[in-house]
Amino acid sequence: MKRSFFGFIKPRLTYEAIADTQAEPAYVQVSEKIRLLLDQPAEHAAEIVLSVGDHVKSGQRIQTADDAGEYELSSKSGNITDIVPYLGMMQKRMTAVTIAVDPESAQTPDETFKQESPAPTLESAARFLQGLPGKPDFSPFFDPGKLIKAIVVLGVERDLMAVTNQYFIKTGIESIKTGIDVLRKITGIHNVVLAVPEHLVQVAGASGAGVKTVDSEYPASHPQLIVRHILADEMKSGDLSAPADVAFFSAEAVSAMGAAFNTGQLPLNKLLTFISKDGNKRLACAPIGTPLKDILEAFNETVQDADRIIFGGPMTGTAVYSIDEPVQPDTDMIMIQDRSQIPESADIACINCGECVRVCPVNVPVNILVRLLEAEKYEAAASEAELDACIECGLCTYVCESRIPIFQHIKLAKHTLERMKAEESNA
Amino acid sequence: MPEPFKLTVSHAPFRHNGSRISIKNYNILAATLLAVIPGLLVYGGAALSVVTLSVSTAMIWELVMNYLTRRPYSIGDGNAALMGMLFAMMLPATTPWWVVVVGTFFTIVIGKQIYGGLGGNPFHPAVLAMAVLMLSWGGYFDFNAALVDYQFDFNPVYPLVLVKSFGSGAVEGFSAIDLLLGRQVGGIGTFCGLGLVIGGVYLMLRGYIRWEISCSFIAGILVTAFLFHHANPEAYAGAGFHLLTGYSLFGAFYLATEDSSSPVNFIPMLIYGALGGFLTVLIRNIGAYVDGVVFAILLINLTNPLIDKIRPKTLRKVINYA
Ligand code: SF4
Ligand code: SF4
Repeated sequence: MKRSFFGFIKPRLTYEAIADTQAEPAYVQVSEKIRLLLDQPAEHAAEIVLSVGDHVKSGQRIQTADDAGEYELSSKSGNITDIVPYLGMMQKRMTAVTIAVDPESAQTPDETFKQESPAPTLESAARFLQGLPGKPDFSPFFDPGKLIKAIVVLGVERDLMAVTNQYFIKTGIESIKTGIDVLRKITGIHNVVLAVPEHLVQVAGASGAGVKTVDSEYPASHPQLIVRHILADEMKSGDLSAPADVAFFSAEAVSAMGAAFNTGQLPLNKLLTFISKDGNKRLACAPIGTPLKDILEAFNETVQDADRIIFGGPMTGTAVYSIDEPVQPDTDMIMIQDRSQIPESADIACINCGECVRVCPVNVPVNILVRLLEAEKYEAAASEAELDACIECGLCTYVCESRIPIFQHIKLAKHTLERMKAEESNA
Repeated sequence: MPEPFKLTVSHAPFRHNGSRISIKNYNILAATLLAVIPGLLVYGGAALSVVTLSVSTAMIWELVMNYLTRRPYSIGDGNAALMGMLFAMMLPATTPWWVVVVGTFFTIVIGKQIYGGLGGNPFHPAVLAMAVLMLSWGGYFDFNAALVDYQFDFNPVYPLVLVKSFGSGAVEGFSAIDLLLGRQVGGIGTFCGLGLVIGGVYLMLRGYIRWEISCSFIAGILVTAFLFHHANPEAYAGAGFHLLTGYSLFGAFYLATEDSSSPVNFIPMLIYGALGGFLTVLIRNIGAYVDGVVFAILLINLTNPLIDKIRPKTLRKVINYA
C-alpha cells in the first residue's frame, strides 16, 4: 500500500479478491442489547410510535413516527430500553433505539410482512425491506423526477480489503438469481447488470443477468465509474439517456430481498469483513444492531487507548467513538488499527506538488480546490474547482505529501453547501 | 456508560502512501551532492565555505521568519536547506560571504516566506534571489573574472561568454565529453553535467521531480539551439553545447521542477518545460545575458498560473443515484 519506489508510476490500489480458501463466516451472538440508528432527529419523540418499555418482534419496523418513511428493522425481539438522540456523521441528528434482546428460545418473529405481502410488489419492498442487510434503496423508483431504465447489482466492494459482496456471488449465486428475478418482477425493468470482479465472471453467469467486469484498481467499483465505464455502450446507443437513471443494489441486498419474498422471513444478519490489528481478514455474520464490543469479543480482539476502529473501509470509512457502536445494514467492513499503524497527519500548507490532481479519477483540480476549501470559500469551490464532481474516493488525501485532510474538507464543504441550500429554500 | 478507553477518531482515508515533504526534499538534497562534490573537489575550501554558509544561513532565515510570523517551525521539512543548496550551486566559488547571506535572504524571505511559506511562492525562491543579485551585483557572477585565480588544465573561459562574443568557432575546442565531465568553469554545482544528469534521472525515476518538465525543458533547449545553429552555424553554437553549458541541466532538473511555481497537469507541464528551454536559448543567443536560464525560469514561473488552466475535463456525474 506504500508509494512505489519508482514514484513516477501512479499508485495502484487494488480491491481484495476473495480467496478460494476464505473461511465460512463466524456467527456473532448478541450478548444483551442491540442498538438501531434511525435517520431522524429524536425531536419527533413527541409523536413517537414506540416508547421505552415496548416489546418489539424480530423483523418489526422501527421508526419514530408512522409517516417518517425511514425505518430500521429490529433484528431481534426484545424490550426497548432507551430512545436517545444520536449524532451521526457531520453532526447529523439521528435517534438511537436500544433493545434488550429476548433469550434465543423466546425470540418471536414479526409476521406483518408475511401477511401483507403475499406477492412481491415494489410498495411492499419499500415498506418492509429497506432495513435489510445491504440496505436496498427503492426510493429512486418512487421519485417522479427519475425514470429508471437499468439496475446494477454490485458484486464488487465499496472499499479496499473487503470481500463481503464477493462472498454472496461466490457462495450464493442461486439466491442472487432469485433476488434478480424478484427485482425484475417488481420493477418491470429487465435490463439488470451484475457487476463483478474478473475472477467471479464465471460464477456470475448463472445469475441470469448481464455480467460486466469491473477493474480491480481502486476506485473502479464506485457506482459513478461503473456507470461511466461499464454502461458506456448502452448509454451511447441511447438505451440510457445521460444523465441516465440507474438504480444500484449490493449483491447482499439482492440476495436478502430474494430470500424475503421467497420465504416470508426477513434475513436480518449482516455479513461483514473483519480486519483485525494483525491484518487478519475474517468474515462475520452479526445481527443488525449488534454492538461492536460483541464482535470484538467473538474474534478475541483487544482494543486499547488510542487505537482506531473503522466502520466501512480504509479509504472511505468512518472512525467510531465507542465500542457500543452498532453494526448497521450497510456496514460491510470493520477494521481495527493499532495506534502504531495510524499514519500521522500534519498541519502544513499545500505545496502544489500535484500528486492529488494526477491521482483523481474524475480530474478534479484538487490543488486549486484545497486552497479554496482551507479558506472556507465553499461556493467558489463549487463554481471554480468542481467540488461537486468529486466522487469521494479519498485518493487525493491518500497521496498528499503535505498530508492535508483534503477529504475531510471536501465532505465538510459539501455538507455546508447542502445546508445553506436547504436553508435558502426554507426561507 | 463511560468508555474504558478513548479511541482515536479521525477522518477517512485511514491509510497514506507514506510520502511526505521532508522525504522528498532530503532526496533532492542527496541528489544535488552528485553535482556539488565535483565542485568541492575542483574549487576546494572556497566552494565548501560558500555551500555551508548558504545552506546554514538559509535555514537561519527560515527560523527567523517562522519566529516573526509565528508559524510552526518548518526547517525540519528540509526545504530551506535545499533552497540554500540550490542557490549555492549557481554561485562561483569566490562569491564574497555577504553576497551569499544577502542571496539567501532573498531566497528565503523574499522568495518564499512573504508568500506564506512553501507552496505559496509564485517564483522559484533561489532563482528569484539569483536574478536580484545578477541585476544588482552582476560583477560577482562573471565567471571569468571570479575564477581568475584558479589554475585549470582546460580553457578557463566561461564557454557561454566565448560563444556570445566570438561565435561558435571559439568553442570548438570543447568536446561534449569534456563538458559533460565538467571540464569547464561554472557555478559550484552546475558545471558537472554528469553529476546533474545522474541526480536528475534518479529524482525523475523516484517521482520526486516531474519528468515531464525536465524532459521538455531539455527538448526545448535542444530544438531551439538546433534551429538557431542551423540558421547561422557561424554565430550560434550547436544544441549539445547549449545543453551542457551554463545552468541548462541544473535548470532542467532543479529549477524548473520546483513544485509551487510549476504546473501540475500533463500538457501544461510539457508546454512549461519546453517554453523554458526555448526562452533559455533565445536569451542566450539574442538577449543581453550570457546565460538565459535564470530569467527563462522566472518568465515561465510567471506563465504558470495561466498555462496550468489547460487541464483535463472534469468528469461530471452522469447519474444521480440515492
Ligand atoms: S476524493 Fe479526491 S481524488 Fe477522489 S474524486 Fe474527490 S477530489 Fe478526486
Ligand atoms: S497532494 Fe497535497 S500538497 Fe500536493 S498539490 Fe495536492 S493538496 Fe497540495
